[in-house]
Amino acid sequence: MKSSVRFFALFFLVLLPAAAQYRTALPGYHYEFPRDHFNHPEFKTEWWYYTGNLTAKDGHRFGFELTFFRQAVSRDASKTAVWDVQDVYIAHLALSDLDGGEYYHAERTNRAGPEIAGVSENLRRIWNGNWSVEGKSDAQQLRATDEQFTLELLLRSEKPPVIHGENGVSQKAEGTGQASHYISFTRLLTSGAIQLQGKPFQVSGVAWMDHEFFTHQLSNEQTGWDWFSLQLADKSELMLFELRRKDGTTDPFSAGTYVDAQGKTIHLHATDFSLKPMGQTWTSSITGATYPIKWSVSVPKLGLELEASTRLKSQELSGKSKFAPAYWEGAIDFNGRKNSSAAQGVGYLEMTGYDHPVSFGEASTGQP
Amino acid sequence: MRLGLMVLAVALGVAVVLAIDLAGDAAAGSFHSSMETLAGDNDLEVVASGGVPERIFATLSTEPVPIRVTARMEDFANLPNSKQTLPLIGIDLIGEGSRFILEGAVKSSSSSKDTGYQTSFEQLMEPTSIWVGASLKKNPGDTLELLINDRTYMCTVRGVYPDSNGTENAIVMDIAAAQRILGRTGTLDRILIKLPRNADLGEWEKKLDAGLPEGVQIRPQGSGTTENRKMLAAFRWNLRLLSYIALVVGAFLIYNTISVSVVRRRPEIGVVRALGASRADILFAFLGEAVCLGVAGALLGLPLGRVMASGAAKLMALTVDSLYVSSRPGLIELSAGSVALALLIGIGVSVISALAPTREAMQVSPVEAMARGRREYTVQVHKERDVLIAAMLAGVAAFAARLPAVAGKPLFGYLATVLLIASASFAMPALVSFISRATSKLLGRLFGVEALLASRSLAASLRRSSVLVAALSTSVAMMVSVGIMVGSFRQTVVAWMNDELPGDLYLRPAGNPAADRHPTISVELTEKIAGLPGIAAVDRLRAYEINYGGMPVTLASVDLRVLHVYHQSDFFSGRPTGEVLAELRGQANVIVSEPFTYKHHVKAGDTLQLGLGGRKDSFRIADVYFDYASERGYILMDREVLLRYLPDPTPSTLAVFLQPGADAQAVRAAILEIAAGHQILIFSDKDLRGEAIRIFDRTFAITYALEAVAIIVAVMGIAGALIALVIDRRREFGLLRFLGASSGQLRKLILVEAGLLGLFANAAGCVLGYFLSLILVFVINKQSFGWTIRFHWPFPVLLGALTIVYVATVLAGLYPARLAVRLNPLEVVHEE
Repeated sequence: MKSSVRFFALFFLVLLPAAAQYRTALPGYHYEFPRDHFNHPEFKTEWWYYTGNLTAKDGHRFGFELTFFRQAVSRDASKTAVWDVQDVYIAHLALSDLDGGEYYHAERTNRAGPEIAGVSENLRRIWNGNWSVEGKSDAQQLRATDEQFTLELLLRSEKPPVIHGENGVSQKAEGTGQASHYISFTRLLTSGAIQLQGKPFQVSGVAWMDHEFFTHQLSNEQTGWDWFSLQLADKSELMLFELRRKDGTTDPFSAGTYVDAQGKTIHLHATDFSLKPMGQTWTSSITGATYPIKWSVSVPKLGLELEASTRLKSQELSGKSKFAPAYWEGAIDFNGRKNSSAAQGVGYLEMTGYDHPVSFGEASTGQP
Repeated sequence: MRLGLMVLAVALGVAVVLAIDLAGDAAAGSFHSSMETLAGDNDLEVVASGGVPERIFATLSTEPVPIRVTARMEDFANLPNSKQTLPLIGIDLIGEGSRFILEGAVKSSSSSKDTGYQTSFEQLMEPTSIWVGASLKKNPGDTLELLINDRTYMCTVRGVYPDSNGTENAIVMDIAAAQRILGRTGTLDRILIKLPRNADLGEWEKKLDAGLPEGVQIRPQGSGTTENRKMLAAFRWNLRLLSYIALVVGAFLIYNTISVSVVRRRPEIGVVRALGASRADILFAFLGEAVCLGVAGALLGLPLGRVMASGAAKLMALTVDSLYVSSRPGLIELSAGSVALALLIGIGVSVISALAPTREAMQVSPVEAMARGRREYTVQVHKERDVLIAAMLAGVAAFAARLPAVAGKPLFGYLATVLLIASASFAMPALVSFISRATSKLLGRLFGVEALLASRSLAASLRRSSVLVAALSTSVAMMVSVGIMVGSFRQTVVAWMNDELPGDLYLRPAGNPAADRHPTISVELTEKIAGLPGIAAVDRLRAYEINYGGMPVTLASVDLRVLHVYHQSDFFSGRPTGEVLAELRGQANVIVSEPFTYKHHVKAGDTLQLGLGGRKDSFRIADVYFDYASERGYILMDREVLLRYLPDPTPSTLAVFLQPGADAQAVRAAILEIAAGHQILIFSDKDLRGEAIRIFDRTFAITYALEAVAIIVAVMGIAGALIALVIDRRREFGLLRFLGASSGQLRKLILVEAGLLGLFANAAGCVLGYFLSLILVFVINKQSFGWTIRFHWPFPVLLGALTIVYVATVLAGLYPARLAVRLNPLEVVHEE
């Protein structure tokens, strides 16, 4: 669910069509790969989401984000011409120059058209213009070109895909189908090249991929969320999200997943962990939103006590359109203890609903 | 009074030149510029004849280079209610449409805030949703009827974008809707490319071109507009030169008036000189007067030109529409440059025309002018020398007329006309003197002693009268020559159409026609028509707007299975139609129109490289045909052949051939019945000829307007000159009155003089005009436009025009005659 906010940008032009045409995420879904790495047009919303922490040969650190969204808008059988809009494809691209102190980002919105954007299992390809990910025999090739920078990265997974939640669904709110199918590659060994304003960097590091598809997800009691991905030096990973409610409390459907070094997973309930801002904040000059950028992460069940902080405060992705909500999505470092030994790692943090409460297209049209 | 007329003459000349200049800027290709404004600030564009295959858009948008590509459908929509034609632009409202969507959403959501965003997507998907410029004065939610190809659609305005002065006015829709409504899928009209900042345009053009198939062209954005301007250049150039006629006539008048004033002021000049004024002082005095005249004329001409420009722009837009490219009169802007131009022209013309008389004034010696008893100075005219010069000039003119065009412009042709006019002016004194002497007796017998006197007086004041005759005859000659040219052209077109229109009925989509717009007729309607009883065959003509050799060209296909049976066309080779058309059937052969060969320097037997449907192929020119329908070139091929490249079967126009004995009216009614719901126009071959001639006449309206101004200037000059004549000869008139001449006789004397002037001018003008028309038809027209025109005397038109000029000249004598009559004989004689 973590990236939902970005496709709200869409709601200024997109009416979610009658949900009855779409499947909802229900328990007992039978996963099958590689099929389930690609498109699920029978679900309304789907995204493929790559983030990672990279280091150049000279020690220069970067964070990157490349996200492909698909939002179904029409399944009208009479409108199947090339330019007719069945789905809207949105993509976000960001590069955090952690040592240079700069944050670059770009967005694009397209329809499939004559293969301008799309998802193809045959071609093993997900793309939006010249931003793409392509499945190679044992790796994924990421390519993205922006006027200021380009990414060309090869990602090899060290572990099999993780399916979050319980019984194949990641429940987000009360009610059947208020959930998503949520798959992750939690440790992608990454190498490749970054060109930043004409300057080339050979980089390597570790990336994370989320793939989610669903039709309904959140309730209108929820105002925003904070999402963490952690990749610890001991080769274990952790995903945590906390849903904030209008009354200021934490939603009981907040959850997480722990992945150990062998790839075994443990589902975490809201009561299993706590996420607390530590007072340090950053205020965006563009949106005026104030984000907590230092957090304490505690998972007593796993003996984890960590502090999350960032090298770059300004990692807010604010759309050019004033209708699109802004969110903070950035590379972070973790330091602390796991049981009795020192622990450290890298990861990504996403914070939404800080400029104004996130409102849901579904909610405003009236929930079916 | 005389001064006023002179200023007015300069003003008119300046105004005409300015108006043509301003209107030319406003009329040239403004539809395209509005498409460019809406295209945004892109750098390159990809185009192809018959459309760019969509896969090229996919390739370009996924290319790993930092470019932004956007797709365009571009056509035209008619607004049946206001008879306007606007560009229809299909853009990707999802990929790039925030400008339209947001503003539409903002306006439409203000009433129902909650649903604003949601409905806007439904609106976006609606095939009849449009976004329009503010100058259409529509609000979101309003409906607007559009005629696109052969159907009308009731569209809903979803958003309004700012469009400050109407030049950005267009109908915008989503690209899916545009393709659906235009019935064109699989191709785009244009792909726009935005390069990264500070990119090298040429380098990127080359780099991206390498990835494109042959037949698809990449070029700087807005090249279409540049091409149109290039295509229009010759037309504007010729029009501009035509506008100079008014100036030339004005110059004659200034020359005449200043000459007269020099003559009249000889004694004063003598006195001033005797009092110590140098020759330079005299020079400055007269030139100063000319400069003042020029400035005053220019200042008056500026606002006048601005007013005339709006009229001229409308006339020119009509011409541009039917001959070249869709246009719409743009804004007429009076810039600092145009003010400078006006001043320069006004002062330049005045000073140049004043030079010769001023020289004469400088030569006045104090002694001569002060000499007693010497009242009238008769200007010395070297008739023999002048006739010799005239002959020489005419010889040079004849030579210049044979020289080829310079850079596509008939420079030598124009030089020849100027030389001919100069030659005529030199020959004029001898002519006037000869004719008036030869005819004075006859005139005397016919009209009495007053006529005899008038004729003698003309011959006596030869200098003055010959300049007047030269001025008027120049405008008459221009009128006659352009009249002959247009008349010949019209006759040629009429004759050509008789051959060229073999069909019995012609069908085209309703809407305003223009040379570059090719709306289509639905295929199913075509099939239905072809199946009607009484119809023997239907020829489907399909036209495309393509680019060849950096110029817009029309590519058309005709159904040769049908046409070769019926068609009788004139080919350069003189071969029978059937033989030429047989070469075209199913083969990579084309025929091209005469203007095409002229523009692209090709001839029968040459090969054309045409990029069609993303492929490039060679086509041999089988023959060249005469064509007067369009100044832009035409390439014609077999329908079957073109369908191999551009498989769109919809025709642009239909030619229907009836079975022998079929009732044309009944068939027309049957077509109208099955065409219900389609907006098509049906013409009989007669209607079509009528329409073609109507368009033709509309096209030359601007030419006639320019001539009218030149004639007005000339007639004004006659009036001014006659007034000068009266003032000048008041002693003579006084004496005549004193000797017993009645006021009626005096009036008759002056009117006969005016009539004689008019007669001379008309006669001389006709002769000169004939020779000028030869240059216009066979040199200037041929070199500028490439049309072969057959010479034809448009007698009724010429006769009418000449009569009007003659009557106007005589009428111009009325006021001076009244002046002369009012002279008090006693007072005048007392002065003696």
